[in-house]
Amino acid sequence: MLNVIKVMLMTVIAFIVLLPVSWMVLSSFRLEEEIFKFTELGYHLLIPENWTLQNYRDIFSENQRPLDRYMLNTLFIAVTGTFLGLLVNSFAAFSFAKMRFPLKRSLFVIFLSTLAIPFEAIMVPQYMIIRDFGWLDTYTALIVPQIVWAFGIFLLVQFFSDIPRSLIEAARIDGASWLTIFFRVAVPMSWPAIITLGIITFVGKWDEFLWALIVISDDAKQVIQIAIASYSLETYTSWGMVFAASTIASIPTMIIFLLLQKYYIQGVTTSGIK
Amino acid sequence: MKIFSQRNREAVAAYLFILPAFGLLLLFILNPMAQSLITSFYDVNLISDQRSFLGMENYQHLLNDASFYQSLGNSFYFAILVIPIQTALALTLALLVKRSFPGVGVFRTIYFIPFIISMGVASSIFRMMYNKEAGLFNVILDGIGLPVLPFLSNPDIAMIGIVILGTWKSMGFFMIVFLAGLNNIPNDLYEAAQIDGAGPIKRFFSITLPLLKKVMAFVIIITTMDALKIFIPIYVTMAGGGPAGSTRTAAYFIYNHAFQHMDMGYATAAAFIFFIIILIISLIQMRVLRSDVEY
Repeated sequence: MLNVIKVMLMTVIAFIVLLPVSWMVLSSFRLEEEIFKFTELGYHLLIPENWTLQNYRDIFSENQRPLDRYMLNTLFIAVTGTFLGLLVNSFAAFSFAKMRFPLKRSLFVIFLSTLAIPFEAIMVPQYMIIRDFGWLDTYTALIVPQIVWAFGIFLLVQFFSDIPRSLIEAARIDGASWLTIFFRVAVPMSWPAIITLGIITFVGKWDEFLWALIVISDDAKQVIQIAIASYSLETYTSWGMVFAASTIASIPTMIIFLLLQKYYIQGVTTSGIK
Repeated sequence: MKIFSQRNREAVAAYLFILPAFGLLLLFILNPMAQSLITSFYDVNLISDQRSFLGMENYQHLLNDASFYQSLGNSFYFAILVIPIQTALALTLALLVKRSFPGVGVFRTIYFIPFIISMGVASSIFRMMYNKEAGLFNVILDGIGLPVLPFLSNPDIAMIGIVILGTWKSMGFFMIVFLAGLNNIPNDLYEAAQIDGAGPIKRFFSITLPLLKKVMAFVIIITTMDALKIFIPIYVTMAGGGPAGSTRTAAYFIYNHAFQHMDMGYATAAAFIFFIIILIISLIQMRVLRSDVEY
């Protein structure tokens, strides 16, 4: 009985959680005049009356701003940025969590304190550095400044610190180098955490907005979120196109998440982080 | 020559591990931060590229600027609402999906989905959902006989709209963090407690909560920092801090002065005060919620 109530509760929550997303996806198949037409509870509140693919045709046939171009740009930035970020941040996290060295506490506090810095506060000097490096209008500008991420280091430190020190000592006695210990002991024991951070980083890169707006002025190198915003900021806003572009833009993160969640959600729950 | 003792070698290796991260941190975060601090003592115009020294004037103005206090107040109001609500819901979800049964994976996946929708997209979708007449949210409230909540036009409740959006977006992520923590609690503790006759509520308060302390600390610290820095929904959903400035947070205040009024000195001074406030709060939280990370 209790279980039935529990599953019912979970189903209701699942429905509420999915509502905005389903509304976005379903509305992308609506004709423009239909989008804000229904103001009463009913079947058509969610399900389009006349299904259409016109919004999708519009966003891909737009000559000025072809959506696929922005998708590829963003994909490249997100994949490269995620890979480099995982490497750099997990190196740092491992040494903070498991190694002994002078000034560890102070260095860790310096890293953590950067979490409190609002991006807006360093945006302009950062722009000037990028300009002086000659990186304006390059993908480098979108990748390199954001590789290091104190949040990622903080997250991984929590996981790495659960690895028993004795395991590391044993590997040391066997003559393993710290690099070997990192790749052979720490990383395999922390896959769920690393994949979690990978997903978060990827989503963050895919979400890139303000920074891209500042450092990229060449339209051909622009990122997806700006493209979507430009659809909704036009004088005549086509909500259908905004819905369609938003839906398309959500697909890559959705695929990556669904592919990896086996290692990630299930990984976290079955093995735990002993 | 035994310069490289075991201990020294460990230290050298550790520094090498940290070097790439620290180098990037120095170049792209600490260095711009220092430049921001310098800028905050100047009157800087981005367009004419001129600057004149003002000393503490920007800071003095800020301390007399009612709109600055208001923006700080709005940031804290948002944080105070969102931290307990989001954390409680995330923990509840984690407890619901903790025990495995057929189909539990589907629920875990669904609850996580909002997190992978980008904030920009989510903010536009919620802006449309909150539409007073035709938005899905209010149509449903009206349809089931509840009063509509015009988040986009009523300054008294606008921030609640952002709280709902923020919670919807992030609770699934923190659910997973809690889930990882819950699974680290040995099952025999619960079995022992059950044999001793402890009910589910007693077990929650005397086993689950205390043993989740480390995870809880992580969740609260991260949620606080994120909450205080909230920007995109303010910019998109509330179309720039509306209605009537009721959702103008500190991050928006900084952005607005820097890139709308082009007053970089004033904006960076505000950013600095804001940074110090967040830093102090985080340090207090870390002390209070001290976790047993191996230092």
